Formats: sequence, C-alpha cells, structure tokens
Amino acid sequence: MARIVGGLGSPHAPAVGAAVDRHDEETPYWKPLFDGYRPMRAWLERAQPDVLILFSNDHFTSFFLDAIPTFAIGVAGVHEIADEGWGKRPLPPVPGDTDLAWHLSKSLVDEGFDPTVCHRMPLDHGCLSPLSALLSWTPRWPVRVIPILVNVLHFPIPTPARCFQLGQAVRRAAASYPDDLKVVVLGTGGLSHQLTGERFGYINPQWDAEFLDRLERDPESLAALRHQDFIERGGSESVEVILWLCMRGALSRQVRCIHRNYYHATLTGYAQVIYEDTENEVVAPSLRGAA
Amino acid sequence: MKPSEREFAHPSPGTYLLTVSLAQQGYRLSSFCRSLMRPESRAAFKADEEGIMRAFGLSETEREMIRARDWLAMVRYGVNHFLVFRVAGTLGVGLTGTAAQMRGETLEEFRRTRRVWEER
Repeated sequence: MARIVGGLGSPHAPAVGAAVDRHDEETPYWKPLFDGYRPMRAWLERAQPDVLILFSNDHFTSFFLDAIPTFAIGVAGVHEIADEGWGKRPLPPVPGDTDLAWHLSKSLVDEGFDPTVCHRMPLDHGCLSPLSALLSWTPRWPVRVIPILVNVLHFPIPTPARCFQLGQAVRRAAASYPDDLKVVVLGTGGLSHQLTGERFGYINPQWDAEFLDRLERDPESLAALRHQDFIERGGSESVEVILWLCMRGALSRQVRCIHRNYYHATLTGYAQVIYEDTENEVVAPSLRGAA
Repeated sequence: MKPSEREFAHPSPGTYLLTVSLAQQGYRLSSFCRSLMRPESRAAFKADEEGIMRAFGLSETEREMIRARDWLAMVRYGVNHFLVFRVAGTLGVGLTGTAAQMRGETLEEFRRTRRVWEER
C-alpha cells in the first residue's frame, strides 16, 4: 500500500523559484513567504516520504495548442528541467517513479479518469518553484516525484468537483499499490491572482482566508462552486485552486492542519499549508517521540 | 465566434479567458511566442525583431502588437498570457511592466496600487 500521510499546499509562481535561485529567502520582500516554508521543510524531513504526487499545471511549456490534455500524468523515470524562455534553472533533473505512475495511470483509467500518459514532460515553474522551495536537491533530490498536471489555461477546463474526485481516485489508487510506500500529495498554485487584462493584479485576501478555512473543513462546498465563482472572487488565474482541491481530495475526510501561512505579495495571495492525514499516520505510533 | 463563446471568454470587465475560437485566431502568434523557448530564437529575435517576425509569417496586425508592446491586445487577440510573457520577457519587460501596460498605467502608477514591492 502506498500510504498518503499528508498534503501540502504551496504557491508555484515563477518568482518563487527565481527567489530560490538568487538566495533571496531572507530579503524583506521574500522572508514572509520563505518563513512559511521552514515548517514544511522540517515536516518533510520528519515524514521522509518516498514519493510526492504533485498536482500542478503546464504553462504552454510541455503542451501547446496542438494538444491540451485535461489531465496528464508524468510517468518518466527522470523528469527534465524545462527552458520556459529565460534559460533552464540550475536544478538537476527530478527523479520520477515509473512503477507507481503506471499503477496510478491504470487505476485512474479503470475509474474513468483517462489521464494523458506522458513519457516526456519537462517540468516548468508549476512544479519546480514548489519543489525547489520545499526540498534540497544536493547531493540529490530526496524524493521521487509524480506530476499530475491539470489544464487550467485553455477552456474548457475540468470542474472543481472533477478535480476533487480525481484526488479521491488517486487516494484509492495509492491504497491498492502492492508495495509499501509513504506518499505526500502537493497542491500548488494560487491563491487569488489575475495575470491578464485591466484587472491584472487583483488579490482578495478575505476570500483566500475563507477558501483555506473551507478547504480544511468543508472541501465539498468548494468543489461545488463553478469556475466563474473562483474567477470573480479570486481573479481569473485563481481558478487554478482546483489543483488544491485535487490535493485535498487525496486526503482523509478529516485532516489535521498543522501549518498555515499567508502572504499578500505584489501580484498574488500566496498560501502554504500542511494537512496531516488522520487515517494514515506520518510516523507509526510506536515511533512517536523518537523523531 | 458565437455570442455564447464571446460571453464566456470575456465574462466581466478586464477579464479574458482563452477559448477555442480565440485560440484558433491566436494560433500563429502563440506559436511565435512559444518559439522563444529556444535560446537561439530569443537571440535572433532580439537581434532583428522585424526580420524574425517576417520570417515567421506573422501578419501585419500581429507584428504591430509586438512592435507596440501591446500585451493587452495580444491577450484579447487570443494569446494566453504565459505566451505573451515570453515575448515581453525576451524584450526585457517583466511581469510588473506587463501588468502596468495591461491596466493602462505607468509602472509607477501600478506600483502605488501594491501592498508590497520587490526592490531588485
């Protein structure tokens, strides 16, 4: 069984990765965000997951208008670093987990989800910004990563309810995996922001706070909203919070929120959370206190 | 574009979503933006904007949007903003500069609307 022991939420803005590359974590501008990563890094070091299932979206990097998968899963043994137009970030390729990715792909298809199976899907900021903020990659990345990308840029995009159900299907798929693995799910992006039009720069901290409250305790009520509800309340690009619904769907009904941080930055309401799964413990009870 | 799609793509003032007909209209210009993912294409474009746009077969309308650094026009035309950012970025205009242009403000005016600002 691949046990999903917790879920993390993180922004995935390119600026976050750029701040990592410049070692700007302690600058006045970035400290409020990177202080929020400290408990997440510590939690990951304690949890020692074998695999991260990362919900993100492509930004016309691996995919183009020629073919836009609604859901895509990266099954490669190694994921390349993409050049999005500013040169590749100085990061080593990210290890994948082909066996678990095959199992997830097959299980999802059996459940009626039909993800596009991708053997080569270079990772862009949607995956690399959170990974590089949460993990150290020297001497090597400490965890294998399975990216599941959701189309959030070209309409029609999948409904919030469908994304929540995808997370639930991922949980069932993980539970039927024959090997014993520890898995953490990661929802990325958001929260409120809009990066186009005359409304560029729209941020709504009140809605973001409500979103985080409801994501923890009542995610179904968010899954029942329409895209337009998210766009009105949080800006057009905030619709990508459906990626957080994927993460939340993959967790137990009740979760323990042990970390929550929010930073109203220049263009985006950045949020970070740690949810512990209440059915699959991070550390086996007998080992509690040992860590 | 059918009225129903137009309404969907432009649901409220200042907001533009990419839908099928729009993306079709913006396909060639979007392809051009995507070509800038290659370092050699970025270098060539910076060295000879007009020549590269002509060689790519962009229409006069499309070339004029880039000449004018009119990022908002590109979005309205059917180019996703992440593709627009590739052209803007190659031409040295960052995200905040792109934001200011789309809002019809100077960078300083836009800055005054922000809670925090990154000094670089």
